[in-house]
Amino acid sequence: MIRDITIGQYYATESIIHKLDPRVKVVCTFAYIISLFCFNQLSGYIIAALFFWCITKLSKVPFKFIVRGIKPILFMLVFTALLNLFWTSGEHILIKYGVITITAEGVKRTIFMALRLVFLIIGSSLMTLATTPNQLTDAIEKLLRPLNKLKVPVHEVAMMMSIALRFIPILVEETDKIMKAQLARGADFESGNIFHRIKSMAPIIIPLFVSAARRATDLALAMDARCYNGGEGRTKMKPLKYKKQDIIAYLIMLLYITVIIIAGKYLPF
Amino acid sequence: MSIKLQNVNFIYGIGTGKEKQALKNINIEINNGEFIGLAGHTGSGKSTLVQLLNGLERATGGEIFYNGKNIYDKSYNMRNLRSKVGLVFQYPEHQLFETTVINDVQFGPKNLGLPQLEVELRSFNALKMAGIDDSLLDVSPFALSGGQKRRVAIAGVLAMQPEVLVLDEPAAGLDPAGRDEILGLLKKLHDENNTTIILVSHSMEDIAAYVDRLLVMNQGEIVLDGSPEKVFQFEKELEKIGLGIPQPAKVIHQLKEAGADIKGTPVTVSESVESIYKWLKET
Ligand SMILES: Nc1ncnc2c1ncn2[C@@H]1O[C@H](COP(=O)(O)OP(=O)(O)OP(=O)(O)O)[C@@H](O)[C@H]1O
Ligand SMILES: [Mg+2]
Repeated sequence: MIRDITIGQYYATESIIHKLDPRVKVVCTFAYIISLFCFNQLSGYIIAALFFWCITKLSKVPFKFIVRGIKPILFMLVFTALLNLFWTSGEHILIKYGVITITAEGVKRTIFMALRLVFLIIGSSLMTLATTPNQLTDAIEKLLRPLNKLKVPVHEVAMMMSIALRFIPILVEETDKIMKAQLARGADFESGNIFHRIKSMAPIIIPLFVSAARRATDLALAMDARCYNGGEGRTKMKPLKYKKQDIIAYLIMLLYITVIIIAGKYLPF
Repeated sequence: MSIKLQNVNFIYGIGTGKEKQALKNINIEINNGEFIGLAGHTGSGKSTLVQLLNGLERATGGEIFYNGKNIYDKSYNMRNLRSKVGLVFQYPEHQLFETTVINDVQFGPKNLGLPQLEVELRSFNALKMAGIDDSLLDVSPFALSGGQKRRVAIAGVLAMQPEVLVLDEPAAGLDPAGRDEILGLLKKLHDENNTTIILVSHSMEDIAAYVDRLLVMNQGEIVLDGSPEKVFQFEKELEKIGLGIPQPAKVIHQLKEAGADIKGTPVTVSESVESIYKWLKET
């Protein structure tokens, strides 16, 4: 049932991509997303797709996992596509029916925009699939460290983020168990009108909140018991360190960006 | 009237790359009015198995029949099955949600669509049976101790008066007196109402005196099935899978091994004392 939720899920396997420094993955994903907006013709998409395909192969994450990330935002995708389709003005009118006009420019833009969004999402899901949440927050903490000078509590924010990420699967599991316990007592979550259904959620929501609050208190206590007092003077068990492979990865990324910018400028289609 | 499992398999997380086979080829038949103990080490699949019995999880292979009808038939009424096969979960925290204890216990019978009077009657009865003091009826279930929560959770299912009552580790978190009280209550339910009872526990010692039949699980399989006397004959096998036999049975075994001519296979302390006494008298 609810266990199918896979936000921010990690796919455990051994691959070059998994072994990269998480900072490399965060920076490169960011760069990849930006690169998607650096061109506006077919060849760019082909290069971006090829590049993505290679990385996916290297990461050994099955393709269907990556595609799964699209499902939850399918609605948004269709919505923006429709907006683009109907509201792009242009010279080559394909269909005109009342207030609706569809232009050739509109069609092109719709397809390109949808492709961009899809690449954006599968690109970031590949990153989360190949990086554990802990590594991810480590990377973000390290990358944002300069903000410390501006009195931004970087460590605390990163800690909260990693705790939140850590709790998602636990709470999903918990919800599943609570739902089952109430189903066993004859609860019915499916029938009735919307108000009835919202009301029928109480037997799930309340135990879930109680348990989340309890877990949070327990965790706070456990952290306190181990003398946690924020980021000051705190060292890492596994400090992040760039290795040769990370430098190579950055170089490959740089090469890709160069290629895509050049292609965007000089290729005719 | 029975529950029958045919070649039942269950795998967690199909299609996620983290498959875990929790049940392997389970073939059992549970007859009406039996008092069954389901024992096995941590992670052997006990909780998974009992969730299949009332359709909360669906077997990934095999069939389950309740009173001769296949519960995986399209036309089968799952909600009805759940009212017939009551399941008390391992952790009471997962089901308590109402503002007061009495309201919480009423949740189950209300879902059955019973008239209010009947709902109240059953709930009061169930709470009394589960040993909850009247003074606690209007208390928030979250303000109870662990053992009290467990009793309220049990009452919540008892109030539905199921034909088959399945309890996942009902004695966990109770003191010895509380444990005996709850198990005694189940015995009474079984003897008086002929309710079929399935008791999950990793401690055979606790349940040996109560059950007529013991099922022992190991890594998703049923490895032993029979009366406690019979099952305890397999001391070596049980120890190999991380389960010890109860102390009294062990003493008798060792005496027998040393050459004592003790008759029968006593299970509980008092039975053992009696047979040892008899043997001493004879020699
Ligand atoms: N939701 C789940 N997802 C994946 N695997 C699970 C899940 N629940 C249980 N398992 C696995 O299935 C196996 C059987 O678990 P189960 O809860 O049935 O054991 P159990 O016999 O009830 O143990 P315990 O005595 O600790 O309650 C375990 O190996 C467990 O890791
Ligand atoms: Mg269990």
